Amino acid sequence: MSAPILEIDGLDLGYATRTGTAAALRDVSLSVAPGESVGIVGESGCGKSTLLKAVMGVMPPNAAIERGAIRFRGTDLVAAGPDAWRRVRWSGIAMIAQSALNALNPVKRVSAQISEAIRAHADWPRDKIRARIQELFQMVGVDPARIDDFPHQFSGGMRQRVLIAMALALRPPVLLADEPTTALDVIVQDQIFRSLRQLQTELGFAKLLVTHDLGLVIENCERIVVMYGGMIVEAGPTAQVIAAPAHPYTLGLYNALPRLGAAVEPISIPGRPPDLIAPPPGCRFAPRCPFAQDRCRTDPPMRVLGPGHHARCHRSDEMDALRPAALRPETWERDDALANESNPDTNERT
Amino acid sequence: MGSYILRRLFHMAITLFAMITLMFFLFRLLPGDPTATVISPALDADARAAMQARFGLDRPLIEQYFVYLGNLARLDFGLSFRTSRPVWELIELRLVNTLLLILPSMIAAYVIGAFGGALMAWYRGGRAEGSLVLAATALQSAPVFWLGMLAILVFSIWLNWFPTGHIVTPGRFPDPTWRMYLTLDFLHHLALPFFVNTLYNLCFPLLLMRSTMLSTIGEDYVELARMKGLRERQVLYGHAMRNSLLPLATTLPMILGWSVAGSVVIETVFSWPGLGLLMIEGITRSDYPVVQGAFLLIAVLTIVGTFVADLLYGLLDPRIVYR
Ligand SMILES: Nc1ncnc2c1ncn2[C@@H]1O[C@H](COP(=O)(O)OP(=O)(O)O)[C@@H](O)[C@H]1O
Ligand code: SF4
Ligand SMILES: [Mg+2]
Repeated sequence: MSAPILEIDGLDLGYATRTGTAAALRDVSLSVAPGESVGIVGESGCGKSTLLKAVMGVMPPNAAIERGAIRFRGTDLVAAGPDAWRRVRWSGIAMIAQSALNALNPVKRVSAQISEAIRAHADWPRDKIRARIQELFQMVGVDPARIDDFPHQFSGGMRQRVLIAMALALRPPVLLADEPTTALDVIVQDQIFRSLRQLQTELGFAKLLVTHDLGLVIENCERIVVMYGGMIVEAGPTAQVIAAPAHPYTLGLYNALPRLGAAVEPISIPGRPPDLIAPPPGCRFAPRCPFAQDRCRTDPPMRVLGPGHHARCHRSDEMDALRPAALRPETWERDDALANESNPDTNERT
Repeated sequence: MGSYILRRLFHMAITLFAMITLMFFLFRLLPGDPTATVISPALDADARAAMQARFGLDRPLIEQYFVYLGNLARLDFGLSFRTSRPVWELIELRLVNTLLLILPSMIAAYVIGAFGGALMAWYRGGRAEGSLVLAATALQSAPVFWLGMLAILVFSIWLNWFPTGHIVTPGRFPDPTWRMYLTLDFLHHLALPFFVNTLYNLCFPLLLMRSTMLSTIGEDYVELARMKGLRERQVLYGHAMRNSLLPLATTLPMILGWSVAGSVVIETVFSWPGLGLLMIEGITRSDYPVVQGAFLLIAVLTIVGTFVADLLYGLLDPRIVYR
């Protein structure tokens, strides 16, 4: 395996709030090889956007990186300082933002918004910039005659394509995508992902896709990273993780997938994400976990289950025996008592 | 866009016409006989009738109205009851005086307010910012005549830095001419009312800009601008502040109207011989043609200002559909 292009190493990030520090990222480590596709999946609030913003170095003012490194081509950006980090943004690591409608400045022409990104990093003549923008539009399948339009003149899907064009402007070796199609209907979503895969084959960038939809990751990524409550709970090659999920939360996510032609209803995981200011002791998933035991009140270790496949659970080595139970809806319902005992917040749940 | 401007011009013309008509009848319906102040009741009926005929007051109202419209079109505002001189002659320089005070002062207030508010939001949370917000809020709710008198008390009477009023030292230009605007004396007289008016009108754009910026800063496109690797300065001026100007621009017409109307107060406090003061003088002397002329011009200024601000807004926000 070649040297990783992006490497996140033991990252801790906290948000200062009125009531204390929210531990939004804890011990997050993950590396991305050149040209690879990695998918980060987890329910809303688990810290996916926080992680991507940290990688871009655009955290909100109340966020602080407490520990860890973010290495791009071997250089730690956290240590390198804001200006070095700024130069890597977009030219080294670009991002397709979550909402195409809000991410484009409504009062500026699209061409101006792309060209300012180029000019922030390269000293190109005007003609070359315009030619590049037209080429980018062509690449993502938008009429190059429309580069001088305003964002509101495009449909939702087109806007998302414009954002992709913008992200590719400087041929970045790493592309981050934060739920790039949440606002779009399924058909357009499909088209967008198809052209993203195509572009990736052509241009060879590495892709880090963030989504709450496990299905999208299975379709688009070679590797899966599962996040829960600000921590990575399982990571591994997609095929292995799907064939043998080793963390109960991954099992839960898998059960929640609607399957074509399946007789069973998808099972959703009852309960709420953990309070990040005062997280439960030990395993953060314990209050919702049907397999929780006493030892789960201590921090579970990251266990290696195979090449590149690991999970953070005390019982991951027994998972082969537990998996059949996880497929039964009663398993998830039965543990309300434990869930309530450990997390009084969930009492009103029905 | 061209047809949009034409349509807006047409709307403006209708508004102007309605306003002119309304004003004509309003002034005729006012109680009190305007001719009483210049036409002595002691005069015999014939002399009185002759006077009334001279001012055209003997003809039917509707005929007076058409004469009035025709005259307006030729910038003929009639004759002052008091001085018997053409009203336009009186108004001309007064208009210039008002514009010289109000326009630069409003521009200064908006420019300082926009940048100040933007920077306050950008560097939010400090103690300096908190005190500025408090000061601006307090200043905004203080009456402008009180501010003016306070400024006169401090800077004219105690410190003796500026004159207490007037546009030039009285007696220096017995007949007002254009040349007086080119003197340092004029600037010296302008300074204090300019300062007070700017300070007073600064608060609104400052606070509005600050609160708009506070929400703009959290917008996705500002974050994206930063992600693109733009320098902080570009993110601030090119995106956050650029977009926060929109709500501020919508307030321009309203504020312009207020400030022209507010000039009456400022001009009175500083004895600034502008339209506002002329209007007050006209009212106390029942000199209706003068009042009407001043009133009309203030209204025209407001309407034209609204039109200009509308166009400006269209330029700032491409999402405005020109319909
Ligand atoms: N600026 C902030 N201040 C405090 N807490 C925040 C802030 N931004 C996000 N959070 C919290 O951090 C957690 C992770 O948020 P986020 O990264 O947006 O999750 P995701 O993208 O996975 O939905 C959430 O609990 C959220 O409430
Ligand atoms: S460590 Fe315990 S509580 Fe946490 S996921 Fe594993 S079994 Fe469940
Ligand atoms: Mg998110």
